[in-house]
Amino acid sequence: MRDITVTINGRPMSATVDPRLLLSDFIRQDAGLTGTHVGCEHGYCGSCTVHVDGASTRSCLTLAVQVAGRKVDTVESLAPDDETLHPIQQAFEDCHGLQCGFCTPGLLMSVAELANTNLVCDRAKIREHLAGNICRCTGYHQIIDAVEQALAEIREVQIDG
Amino acid sequence: MVESQARRFFGSRVSRIEDDRLLRGRGRYVADIELPRELAAKFVRSYEAHASVAEIELGDAVEAEGVHAVFTGADFADSEIRCVSSYEGFQVSAQPILALDRVRFAGEALAMVIADDEYLAEDAAEMVFADLAPLPVVLDLDAALASDAEVLHDGWTDNAYVRRAVKTDGFDKAAAGAPHRLTIDLRNARHGAIPMENRACVADYDRGSNRFTLHTTTQVPHLIRAGLALAMDVPESQIRVIAPDVGGGFGVKAQLYTEEVACCLAARELGRPIKWVEDRREHFVASHHSREHRHRVTGYFDDLGRILALEADIRVDMGAYSVFPWTATMDNGMAMGILPGPYKIREYSATGTPVCTNKTPYGAYRGVARPAACFSIERLIDQIARHRGLDRAEVRRRNLLGADDYPWHSPSGLVYDSGSLAESLESVLQLGEYDVLLTEQAEARAQGRLFGIGLVAFTEQTAHTHQEFKQRGVPIVFGYETAKVRLDASGTAVVSASIHDHGQGLETTLAQIAADRLGLDLDKVRVEYGDTNQVAYGAGTFASRSAVLAGGAVTRAADDVAATLKEVAAHELEAAVEDMVIERGRLSVRGSPVVSIDISELCRLTYQRPERLPEGIEPSLESSRTYDAAPGTGAYTNAAHLSTVEIDPMTGKTAVLTYAIVEDCGPMINPMIVEGQIFGGVAQGIGTALFEEFLYDENGQPQSLTFSDYLIPTSTDVPDFAVAHLETPSPFTIGGIKGMGEGGAIAPGAVIASAIEDALSHLGETVVTDLPLTPERVLTHIDQAIAQGEGQ
Repeated sequence: MRDITVTINGRPMSATVDPRLLLSDFIRQDAGLTGTHVGCEHGYCGSCTVHVDGASTRSCLTLAVQVAGRKVDTVESLAPDDETLHPIQQAFEDCHGLQCGFCTPGLLMSVAELANTNLVCDRAKIREHLAGNICRCTGYHQIIDAVEQALAEIREVQIDG
Repeated sequence: MVESQARRFFGSRVSRIEDDRLLRGRGRYVADIELPRELAAKFVRSYEAHASVAEIELGDAVEAEGVHAVFTGADFADSEIRCVSSYEGFQVSAQPILALDRVRFAGEALAMVIADDEYLAEDAAEMVFADLAPLPVVLDLDAALASDAEVLHDGWTDNAYVRRAVKTDGFDKAAAGAPHRLTIDLRNARHGAIPMENRACVADYDRGSNRFTLHTTTQVPHLIRAGLALAMDVPESQIRVIAPDVGGGFGVKAQLYTEEVACCLAARELGRPIKWVEDRREHFVASHHSREHRHRVTGYFDDLGRILALEADIRVDMGAYSVFPWTATMDNGMAMGILPGPYKIREYSATGTPVCTNKTPYGAYRGVARPAACFSIERLIDQIARHRGLDRAEVRRRNLLGADDYPWHSPSGLVYDSGSLAESLESVLQLGEYDVLLTEQAEARAQGRLFGIGLVAFTEQTAHTHQEFKQRGVPIVFGYETAKVRLDASGTAVVSASIHDHGQGLETTLAQIAADRLGLDLDKVRVEYGDTNQVAYGAGTFASRSAVLAGGAVTRAADDVAATLKEVAAHELEAAVEDMVIERGRLSVRGSPVVSIDISELCRLTYQRPERLPEGIEPSLESSRTYDAAPGTGAYTNAAHLSTVEIDPMTGKTAVLTYAIVEDCGPMINPMIVEGQIFGGVAQGIGTALFEEFLYDENGQPQSLTFSDYLIPTSTDVPDFAVAHLETPSPFTIGGIKGMGEGGAIAPGAVIASAIEDALSHLGETVVTDLPLTPERVLTHIDQAIAQGEGQ
């Protein structure tokens, strides 16, 4: 067993974990943040995507001990409060970018990374960026609509700001 | 009789009520549920496709760290899944909960390990060794029907679950008199729904009340309750099934599974909650497969390309066991019924054989047999067009049902209610800019590029109820759905329904209906589902039925409640009941809107001031109603799809460039949700057309076990969509609503096959008959086309 301290969604958390414990299980079971979903456990579907030090990461292919001393952000960190959604979440709602909601948290975290790195993307570029997140429900069209809207919104806020 | 009531939300693109929790990561899926004292289960599965079980050596597993129990077949031998069709001659299979003396597919569960957590359960599961003596495997459905094939179940005469035949009286004469005939053989690969959430369940048993509570990833909680009651021989009243948020279903979560029974039995045995979460590798072998059809179709037609008679032989590889509640005859029944499709075909003959093989059992997947049926009839139409030297659109025009043909009594006994087939075909040609595409194609060919156009028209049988399921021979005939509407004392409507929402947006669309009927704002309506304790009976969400049937039941129940509100309000306002108008949260007197009372006040008054109620009115604002859309063979949505593809001549890879859809599902409750359902269905259909196939080696070893071996469409495989709607109301249903959840997934196999064939047509003739059209298959078609062209 190893003692680790991780900053999850801005809060430090200490735990004693088995070295083989997956980050996805640590987030879901130890931290109780069940918004991160596990779809394949072989790093392909992207449902379990979280940010580790700001970079999107497959939490099913990462061990909890690997994030000791680092910063982990999950879908629960996005919305500023209970009344307001993050612009990406709001765009997904406006454009019907989700159906069953299972892949959604991973997608949101991938889009959040895009918003942090490249705010000017056409639809083809957005599709390329999201090719590591499988959605079985939507057929992607409305997700791409949502990402276009979210990026435009965030650009505008940055220009205004 | 449904009274007219102003529509404020019906028809609007309102945002979904469920989105807020799902976007925040606050959805509650089965794997998120944690019960006090719960233990984890892991299954040990067969590595052979067909074998006798010599011995299961538990070895050190029983004593391993954190292990509480290891169960094998004998422990659960009193239970089994047995689903018997009412068709005469049906051969019955019984699926054990854990294998007994024989395994019949690779992945069948042999033992169940219960431990403190999943990690420890997996460790112990690896210590279990099953000594299996291989038996001859039966993998190919045609080989399974050969006279010398190994018979897979004791007491069976051969590997056909049943053999069925239908034929119209005039078929022989029409076929004999037809000037032309054409036969094609078609194959759809075995593939599946593959939702992003694997299956999971948490079973709990209360020894005080002898009651089971099963949280499970299902689309059909009431049917799971029925199946568990049969499998465990326990009264239904002792079983509560809860399906919370479910991460996609598409049919694969519409059957009872052995793991659900095993978890219930283990929970009773150990007196502790048992949780099992399937992993993706398990999902590929243990969750039901679908779609593996082989059809031989013969069209008899005249010089103008009009079909005079249609003949079909339908074989489906149903795998090792008949599944609950559909039996092993589901796909055959559906395919035999719907194969004539949207065409004016009067004479029809069909035979059908569901076949037993050493593969994973076969369940529902979005469209159930309709994708294969659409593929067959549409491929036939394309071949007829080529045979007669006619344009593909023109041959369709000549055969499609016209507006004045409705109601159409199909040669297979279905009653098509209404539709706009010709109009949808013309509209999609416009929307997809068919004329422009033809020019583009000519230019592409001049540049040596392989550019093809695919076109398909089809009808989607939806919301079929008792007549259809009676005809399909299922032991439980699915018909009605139930909805309960209750206004609470603070004026909020709680709608409880027997359907389930796992992405279809029903939490919102049913609220839209209830809000309109009760004159409430959307935020005053809460929709609940997925708990057998909420409403007594119903079937669940499958077969494009929930908006129609639950929508109808909600309408009826809400109208009952509105009628009571009107009685109470009329008494309070000293006005006549028939003058009461219900809208925008108030009841008022027609013509005197100032004389009014808030619904919330009426609710409080009804429950908390019973002395003020009019005589004969009970203090209850609640109604539970059912709805079963007569005549029970469904409401028929229709659509036309037009797509373009480009093939890389070097690799054979097909890119889908454009995709246009014109769909008519009657009045839309929420067009935004309708479009989401269509797009999602088409993307799945693109998977059917190009990628998806469960492969086996010659010993029956599954070869598709990860997302790297089994490809499903990603955001770069699917194009942007163009969509337009027509709205022909159904004369059969409340509100004229038709179902539409499956339509998107029905046509793409046929559309893309048509486009690929078209892309190669200038090189020479090749007939596309097998899906998926992987690069390898497409390269073969390119070679065939070139060889045929050069030979001429």
